Amino acid sequence: MLDTIPAAARTDPSGRRLSRVAPLVVAALAAAALWVAPAVLDTFAVNVLTRSMIYAVLAVTVDLLWGFAGILTFGQAAFFGAGAYAAAMILGAYGATPLGIAAGIATAVAAPALLGLAVGWLSFYHRSTPLYASVISLVVPIVVTQLIYSGGEWTGSSSGLVGFDVLPFEIEGYFRLAALVLIAVTLAAWILVRSDAGRALVALRDNEVRCAYLGLNPRRLQIRLTAALAAVAGLAGFLFANASGVVAPENAGFLFGTELVIWVALGGRGTLLGPVLGTIAIDYLAANLSGDLPFLWQLLLGTAFVAIIILLPGGLADLVGRLWRMLPLGRAERAAPALVTREAEAHAATTDTPILQVQSLAKAYGSLTVLENIDLEIRAGELVSLVGPNGAGKTTLMRCLSDGTEPFTGAIAIGGTSTTGLTPNRIVALGVGRKFQVASVFESLSVADCLRLARAPHDGLNPVGQDPTLGLPQAALDVLRMTSLDRLLTRPARLLSHGQKQALELAMVVALEPRLILLDEPTAGLTKAERTTIGTVLKALTIGRRIAAVLVEHDLDFVREISSRIVVLHQGRLVLDGTVDEVVGSELVRTIYSGGAHG
Amino acid sequence: MAEAAQGAGPAEPALSLDAVSSGYGAVSIVKDVSLAVGAGEIVALLGKNGMGKTTLLKTILGMVTPRGGKVTIGGQSLSGLSPAKLVALGVGYAPQEQPLFQDLSIRDNLRLAVPSDRHLPEALERLFGHFPFLKDRLAQRAGTLSGGEQKMLILGRALMLRPRLLLIDEISEGVQPSMVERLRKVLLDERSAGLSMLVVEQHVAFALGLADRYAVLKLGEIVDRGSAKAPDAQARVIDHLAV
Amino acid sequence: MLLTLDILTTAAILFVVSIGLLAIFGVLKIINFAHGAWLTVGAYCAVVTARLGLNPWAALPLAFVVGAALGGLAEHFIIRPLYRRPLDAILATWGLGIVLGQLITLAFGRDVQLTPNLYAGTVAVLGVEYSAYRLVALGIALVIGILFALTIERTRLGLSARAVIMNETLARSLGIDTGRVRLVVFMIGAGLAALAGVLLTPLTSVDPNMGVSWLIGAFMLVMVADASFLALAAACLVFGAAQVLISTFVSPILGSIAVAVLAALVLRVSPKGFSRA
Repeated sequence: MLDTIPAAARTDPSGRRLSRVAPLVVAALAAAALWVAPAVLDTFAVNVLTRSMIYAVLAVTVDLLWGFAGILTFGQAAFFGAGAYAAAMILGAYGATPLGIAAGIATAVAAPALLGLAVGWLSFYHRSTPLYASVISLVVPIVVTQLIYSGGEWTGSSSGLVGFDVLPFEIEGYFRLAALVLIAVTLAAWILVRSDAGRALVALRDNEVRCAYLGLNPRRLQIRLTAALAAVAGLAGFLFANASGVVAPENAGFLFGTELVIWVALGGRGTLLGPVLGTIAIDYLAANLSGDLPFLWQLLLGTAFVAIIILLPGGLADLVGRLWRMLPLGRAERAAPALVTREAEAHAATTDTPILQVQSLAKAYGSLTVLENIDLEIRAGELVSLVGPNGAGKTTLMRCLSDGTEPFTGAIAIGGTSTTGLTPNRIVALGVGRKFQVASVFESLSVADCLRLARAPHDGLNPVGQDPTLGLPQAALDVLRMTSLDRLLTRPARLLSHGQKQALELAMVVALEPRLILLDEPTAGLTKAERTTIGTVLKALTIGRRIAAVLVEHDLDFVREISSRIVVLHQGRLVLDGTVDEVVGSELVRTIYSGGAHG
Repeated sequence: MAEAAQGAGPAEPALSLDAVSSGYGAVSIVKDVSLAVGAGEIVALLGKNGMGKTTLLKTILGMVTPRGGKVTIGGQSLSGLSPAKLVALGVGYAPQEQPLFQDLSIRDNLRLAVPSDRHLPEALERLFGHFPFLKDRLAQRAGTLSGGEQKMLILGRALMLRPRLLLIDEISEGVQPSMVERLRKVLLDERSAGLSMLVVEQHVAFALGLADRYAVLKLGEIVDRGSAKAPDAQARVIDHLAV
Repeated sequence: MLLTLDILTTAAILFVVSIGLLAIFGVLKIINFAHGAWLTVGAYCAVVTARLGLNPWAALPLAFVVGAALGGLAEHFIIRPLYRRPLDAILATWGLGIVLGQLITLAFGRDVQLTPNLYAGTVAVLGVEYSAYRLVALGIALVIGILFALTIERTRLGLSARAVIMNETLARSLGIDTGRVRLVVFMIGAGLAALAGVLLTPLTSVDPNMGVSWLIGAFMLVMVADASFLALAAACLVFGAAQVLISTFVSPILGSIAVAVLAALVLRVSPKGFSRA
């Protein structure tokens, strides 16, 4: 279970510097090569590749949305089309004067960005589903296309716009411009996804619920990402309008949107370079082959697409990646950050106000009453166990405590603030951490990255690089030490054992510096040793650090050992609230558990 | 009793678990459980929530893949058998979680449990033998039955295909004492007709009153077992279950 | 009167086009993006029927059989491996649609095909001359709807399908072969899509991409209906009416996106769409 070599010993500082500089070197080399390429390519190839590279910019945006953030989108075509039309209309009206060009670029970026904000707002809301976002992304290009059709002279209707002024470049100039933009966008995306902030995208894809319960606002992140990448697509549209001199409704269409997804899937979602190279290769091949075998080409592409989706969801880049990892060079691991102690922020209200106040809470699903007349107060340093037979309402109570949008009646207050109507991330901001029954971590992120995301509401995330240190409050460091997770900082969470995942999630919750922790069966499925460790950790947190905790647990030996109070729920009602001795000796509890008390 | 245990020889228990382990994903729930239910015998499996009782039943039924060990029914190994095959082998199951299609009629709920519609009349007859009140209510939605009535429907459904082995998950949960009594009577009748049962329960008095033997499951392991008729059985079990 | 007839027949056509997609989505929880291609396949069955010199109505059973057979193959080789990856299933079925479209192009060429009208002429309804075929289509939609409802409500297959929709785990634990239910439902859904393709031939031009333009509308209607048959009928009526009214009084172009936009807004407000009512 333990790594015998500390992670830090494996990191080689020179290798680390190399990995930071390498993308810049590759980008510079690519830029140089593409700068001279028009000299050796024929005009046809230069023309086609210019278009392919503009499409590849779009592929990068689709990959960021789908491959990294998990949002399957067909909508990038709409933003691309909006940018292209904005450029064509403004350049047509004002000409390619410096002012016209500036206005063209500005509108081509701003209009799609605004549209992206609107689409993001429509697609992402509390409890929205990924499927719904994809549905909206299908509707947007259709709407934009129809608006273009009904735009009359403004948009040229079905024939599109031609003959507008364009930038004063020859075709080689456009080729180089497209190449530079593609390299810049890809490099920026590369830096972003390698940075700490880029991990938040993957976290969103892996586990949106956990994001919300770390106090991050998943909706805001998704909406901002949609708007920002709409702006990039608009810029690509501007380039396209200039390079081709024609814009047509198809450029904004849903079919083009699906083509983008196909290119990204074939190249390899979530790899950036795969989609870029895939798009260029496929679009270039298509231009060459579709003249000779038009239908056969589409047939082959469609067949390859179906086969890749079923058999190789990682795309061609996945194949290449597997080969690469067989080489010694490909096995470089991300360096483990150094752990440092972060001073815990003093909570303002250390007065006598209870941390949690529940007053006459009730909840029903339809005609079925699940909770009824619950009153409960919990103060700093208390560890309150919630016990009761199946269907007593324990998990429902936990859900009401951590999500104010659950429909319930009565009042819940955290440190005096009512939680009614608050989404989970806002309740987290009040000082509540929730640990789920099934360990909820980010499976594809390393232990260190999971913890860093837990610190994001306090410390922010570095958008361009990886911080060499990871600051955690002492309590979280204690959890890591006691569970030996501090030696596994670079290990991806999906490779942890079940017990280690539970410990990691607990450390993440503690890293939030909560005043109140809600724990739903933290020891389910753990070994005896692991259970003892978790018990020690919880006691240290409540007694030592004055955090309050509510624990749902079935293992009563465990409950007896660590609780300061026990609350018994039965059929949705709170039937007993007392010290461990009072509850353990109670005749009522024995009756409930022998199945006798009904009605 | 022994001669009624159709087909299974005296040495062949109706159900036998040999060092069975299982769980979900990385989580291990049932650990190394060995248990046998003899022909015509009732064994009660007790334990609190989350201790692995339901997972153990699902492992027997092949709904959760075992990690280790062997499950045999009447001497036949169960690995890889589909639920349809199990029904054909004579295994009846009365589940606890979402046991009924609430929005379907009672008749449709029962139709779904028989291999084809022509088995239905005979099965219904058997069902009405146990629970006559259902006769007039076949067209009613299952969700409109009271909690206790639903439990009777679940048990009746499990019994109507003449199983040789019955697996029951918390049939007494949330049921009024008078109805628990009716359930017990039906189960005792079936036992005297030779049916073997594994009864998962939290209601200690009900389970021990019914069973020949008991076993207590705690954190996926059997921590206590014995004769249900022993004078100290109830006190011992409650000690394991209560706070 | 004309408007009422337009609304009713438009709703009927939307219903016929969407019902196959609904059946598949309801039971398999998978969105068949090749639905458009099945409409096209159906339409080309009408083309083949005409070339063979058969009665045009013979295209209906032919399309159903061809559609169902292709559906069986698709379910086995494409849907089954992606059962736990629903978003990928959208993509794979879209790819399948491309493949089918290109195969049709290879066989029949890219050009618009002529098909014989299934039922020509007009009839007078309460003083209005109206396309006889649209009225026939309305009747056929009702027949399909009733047959579908009877299959769902009265047959053992329909019962099993409903059981899988409501609670697949329980259905399987009772011994129902849920894999077979999925296969059969996919075949029926694909067969109905092809059937709808035949019925579209008098209303739209037949070419290898004809199905795509119907796909999004059908998809949005099914999303709003959320696997409920009656909700689909209601959605077709409401959105069909919106489409006709907006096309008539505002602009035909806005009318053509009315279904998609309104459905998206309904879903934003009430994620379960029409099925809650």
